[in-house]
Amino acid sequence: MKDISLVLKMMLKEKKDILFSVFFGFLAGITAVSLFAASGYLISQAAFAPPIYTLMILVASVKLLGITSAISRYGERYFSHRGTFTILKNIRLKVYDQIEPLASRLLQKYRSGDILARIVGDVESLQHFFLRVFYPPIVLAAVFIATIFFTMYISAGVALTMSAGMIVVLIVFPAIFYMIQKKAALSMREKRGVLSSEFTDYLYGFRELTIFQQAERKEQQLFDEMNQYEEMKASENRQLAIREAIVIFFSFFIAIIILVQAGFYVAEGNLAGTLLAMLFMIAITVFEDTPSMAVLPAHLEESKSSSKRLIEVWENEEPSKVAVQELEPDLPLHFDFKDVFIQYPNEKKPAVQHASLQIKPGKNIAIVGPSGSGKSTLMQALLTFAPVKSGHILVNGEDINTIAPDSLWEQMNVSLQHNHFFYGSIYENLRFANRNASAEICRDALEKVQLTHFSLEDQVLEKGTNLSGGEKQRLALARLFLREASIWLLDEPTSSLDSITEQQIMNEIEKVTKYQTVVTIRHRLTGLESMDRIIVMNQGEIVEQGTYTELMGKENGYFKAMKELESQQLAF
Amino acid sequence: MGAASICMALAIVGQSYLVVTVIQKLFLNNAAFPSILPAVFILIGMLLLRTIFQYMIKGSGIKMAQIAKVSIRKKLLQHFNGQQMTDADKGQSGQKTSLFMDTVDEIDGYFSQYLPQLIQSAGIVLIVWIVIFIQNWTSGLIILISAPFIPIFMMIIGVKTKDKSKEQLSQLAAFSGTFLDTLQGLPTVKLFGQSDGQRNKINQDSTSFRDATMGVLKVAFTNSLSLEFISMLSIGLIALEIAIRMIIFQNLSFFSGFFVLLLAPELFSQLKQLGSAFHSGRASMGAASRVEDVLKEETKPVSWGTVPLKSDKAPEIILEQASFHYEQGRFRLEPASMTISPYEQVAIIGKTGAGKSTLLGLLAGFLPAEDGKFLIDGIPQEKVQKADWFQRISYLTQQPYVFSGTVRENILLGSLEKQSDQEIREVADRAGIWDWISDLPFGLDTIIGEGGRGLSGGEKQRIAIARTLLKKPQILFFDEPTTGLDIQTEHILQRSLDSLKNQATMVTVAHRLHTVRNADKIFLLDQGKIAGEGTHNELYKNNKMYQQMINTQQGGREA
Ligand SMILES: Nc1ncnc2c1ncn2[C@@H]1O[C@H](COP(=O)(O)OP(=O)(O)OP(=O)(O)O)[C@@H](O)[C@H]1O
Ligand SMILES: Nc1ncnc2c1ncn2[C@@H]1O[C@H](COP(=O)(O)OP(=O)(O)OP(=O)(O)O)[C@@H](O)[C@H]1O
Ligand SMILES: [Mg+2]
Ligand SMILES: [Mg+2]
Repeated sequence: MKDISLVLKMMLKEKKDILFSVFFGFLAGITAVSLFAASGYLISQAAFAPPIYTLMILVASVKLLGITSAISRYGERYFSHRGTFTILKNIRLKVYDQIEPLASRLLQKYRSGDILARIVGDVESLQHFFLRVFYPPIVLAAVFIATIFFTMYISAGVALTMSAGMIVVLIVFPAIFYMIQKKAALSMREKRGVLSSEFTDYLYGFRELTIFQQAERKEQQLFDEMNQYEEMKASENRQLAIREAIVIFFSFFIAIIILVQAGFYVAEGNLAGTLLAMLFMIAITVFEDTPSMAVLPAHLEESKSSSKRLIEVWENEEPSKVAVQELEPDLPLHFDFKDVFIQYPNEKKPAVQHASLQIKPGKNIAIVGPSGSGKSTLMQALLTFAPVKSGHILVNGEDINTIAPDSLWEQMNVSLQHNHFFYGSIYENLRFANRNASAEICRDALEKVQLTHFSLEDQVLEKGTNLSGGEKQRLALARLFLREASIWLLDEPTSSLDSITEQQIMNEIEKVTKYQTVVTIRHRLTGLESMDRIIVMNQGEIVEQGTYTELMGKENGYFKAMKELESQQLAF
Repeated sequence: MGAASICMALAIVGQSYLVVTVIQKLFLNNAAFPSILPAVFILIGMLLLRTIFQYMIKGSGIKMAQIAKVSIRKKLLQHFNGQQMTDADKGQSGQKTSLFMDTVDEIDGYFSQYLPQLIQSAGIVLIVWIVIFIQNWTSGLIILISAPFIPIFMMIIGVKTKDKSKEQLSQLAAFSGTFLDTLQGLPTVKLFGQSDGQRNKINQDSTSFRDATMGVLKVAFTNSLSLEFISMLSIGLIALEIAIRMIIFQNLSFFSGFFVLLLAPELFSQLKQLGSAFHSGRASMGAASRVEDVLKEETKPVSWGTVPLKSDKAPEIILEQASFHYEQGRFRLEPASMTISPYEQVAIIGKTGAGKSTLLGLLAGFLPAEDGKFLIDGIPQEKVQKADWFQRISYLTQQPYVFSGTVRENILLGSLEKQSDQEIREVADRAGIWDWISDLPFGLDTIIGEGGRGLSGGEKQRIAIARTLLKKPQILFFDEPTTGLDIQTEHILQRSLDSLKNQATMVTVAHRLHTVRNADKIFLLDQGKIAGEGTHNELYKNNKMYQQMINTQQGGREA
């Protein structure tokens, strides 16, 4: 029950459609039974050449029942499907709402193709929960009970047989099938997830695969995965077909038993012969829809595993703390790190340790250090993205965890080490930073980063693959020129630029950040003289900090040694 | 399948025949109860046969669907594989994934439902109709007149199904595309405060998909409603006609009347089932046509030939007035001529966006040269054997992709041959990443990439470099190998690359100019044109742009 709770909860919001589906389903079922009962009665009556008007009444009622049945069937289908697909739509949104706060953490646990398979494939498969598991038994049972009541007036014995048949079909068979149902459902959904994530991996890595001529190997691997998945699916479908055949056979069989039983009563003289055909027709019709009960257990199992796969994504994540405190928008930000440790999940040692530093408003700060020393991680902590294990980060004296992150980000202009671009035009990508930016202002921003050879309508492909490395970095910076922010956080903003362009663009940034705080992560140690503070990191620790002159003045200083190495290399 | 369908039809006829016999005997002939028992046993036998044949037809449909889906996915894979690199970038990955998964799944219906139902219905309708006609020709006539309306209506209503289903699937693909793109860019979404906007977009796509789905379904339901009406009408007519013949004309026996009355619904139920199967068949065709659209997309992969390269040495590469432009965008690589001799160290430099990466792709044979010539060891590139060339080269892209998998798998990607851990260790060491790997809790078996441990920018870069070194290539193409690396790491890497000097030709794109100052030849690119060529000293003397670049790099402010 816990597994399926997600669907149940969402389902209850569509009460009206559920009620309509059940109502029309019942109407359609019961009128179909009456229709066939009437026609069986009609033919038996006809054998005795009755007065023509009885016949006319019967024929008319057959017609009427037929039309009612057809229309109700339409209503049932319409409402049940409308309800279902609205439920699915809401589930998709709910899943998105749940995973959105997890952001980058999510992709360290799951592959994006897998998540995609969950929100599309698994959610789609939940449609069977309502359409095949939830309401059909209700409708079937109602039709059965009504029919059995009616039959009781004709022959209690037949009604008893019918009840027994109903119990077998509605309860015994599904229960048996449910028990022997292998736990194939979960592994099949999982396989689908794997196939989907392998495929996205293949698409994302297509360049590398072609370059190393591994595309064929990957293709073969995908092909094998897919074959296995289809094989699993086909064998499951065959299973279902067998079960369906068993139930179909059984329901015919019950109809024959009823025929024989009623026949026995007729032969004994306990039942009017005119009712024989009618009883048989009733039996055949009332059992007609029961094959759906054969597939119910499989659908239930599938829905359960789909639902489980969805919930699993966010289940074990701690609920995001309700940080409510809004930052005052116009107050400059002052950050204070107090002995901060940051450790990624499943890691033995922290990525950043003993980090104590201050970022004062209006200062120009550089973070330098070897690759893997924790520079980006430190910046992630400022953005509240990093898993801080101990220590405190204070923003204007308040703990960062108590501050609503939105109000924090609103005051930040961030360029990550790898920036994301969305599939769409340059304009759309720029306006992502500021919804109100006019074309004029956007063009201005493009000019600042020397991207005037692009028009605003030019397309950016997924992940910006049609841009050169430097163009991507420049477009990321162009976005920042569209926003007002009191602190700029730049993680190697110019690592893919040539030195001339780099210089020009840094000048542009300087122009707009005269009074703002700027924190830059960089590898190159040139041009650090004017920094208010340089933070030097190594192996997760801040080994030195100070101004350029202070650091260069240190005997055996780490920074000094690095700087000397660089000058050696740069000497021509 | 056809045979199974005929057998099933016979079983249905037999079943109805026996039911009528039993009822006739008991109801009209007042027969003793035991006399009907043999008929009942045969009846049960008939039922068994009916279900078995039905299962057989269904089973073969399942098999057909499986085969069809596998072969369609295979075709899609082959298509994607054959794409030229820049064509492969078009479109959204989420859309493609949706096509590969959901759209192909949708094709299932044609094979697993429509085809089997068509055969089943055809056999049953035909035989049942013949029996009805023999029993009571007037009923046969009514059916003959009314039944054809069913396929006619089915087709009229179903005309739009194909397009609607195509629409539905493209809505699903659009949703997938947006979702996957958003998923990848979630941090960006949040940092720019666009959570609400993006949520709206997702919600919109999700709602459009629901609406499209309902659009398809409404057609299906209308379809069944009209089929229901037609069959109701003709069954009603038949019942009326039988009653009139039995009562007024008294020229039809109860037996024949009841027999026909049992058979007619069987016939119409087959037609109705065919109706809904037809609907899913049409929907599948919509899906198939989406797949076809993709398969039809043209792509011009670089063409290769069959001439193997002769020498064991690194091949010489010559470009003569070769040019290139991307399908979209304004960038043009102007006709370029360059000669790269075996074991030469060549650098390509220039401002960002000058076309360095493009030129490198051209030299490595990933992008097709438009005019001019591209000679490998004197043989035109399009004649050279593809495998032979790619075996000799290695290429580091500007933004290497880390696959979801272990560190070992990621490095092993670099070579088609088997490599020992020792060899992996060696290249990792050269790339300056071995110490880091051996520090990991699971070493080479640590899972990285999506769904795995995160890496810092420089670590990613070094894994990619190790990958390129693995197959000991004769020509190395490096696109900015030292981005994201600090001075020290860069220094280590530089030294190990220097040690490869006599084993491989190296073509390096660089903007950190000190890394290429010892190159044998430097090409300076400016706005798609080769604006200078020579050694460091030559260029420094003669080329203004080069001087300027060197000066700014050394920390001096631009004049
Ligand atoms: N998601 C993660 N899970 C586990 N470890 C991580 C993760 N991200 C980074 N690390 C590790 O944390 C350390 C610091 O990484 P970080 O990205 O902060 O380095 P960096 O200083 O920015 O390096 P670079 O200059 O190469 O970008 C590295 O050892 C890295 O392997
Ligand atoms: N797939 C593509 N489709 C269309 N245009 C492209 C594509 N790839 C690159 N371009 C364009 O071609 C031009 C040259 O790009 P290229 O990647 O060769 O530059 P680059 O010299 O390597 O620059 P950088 O130093 O910034 O990496 C750029 O203007 C870029 O926008
Ligand atoms: Mg970093
Ligand atoms: Mg480039």
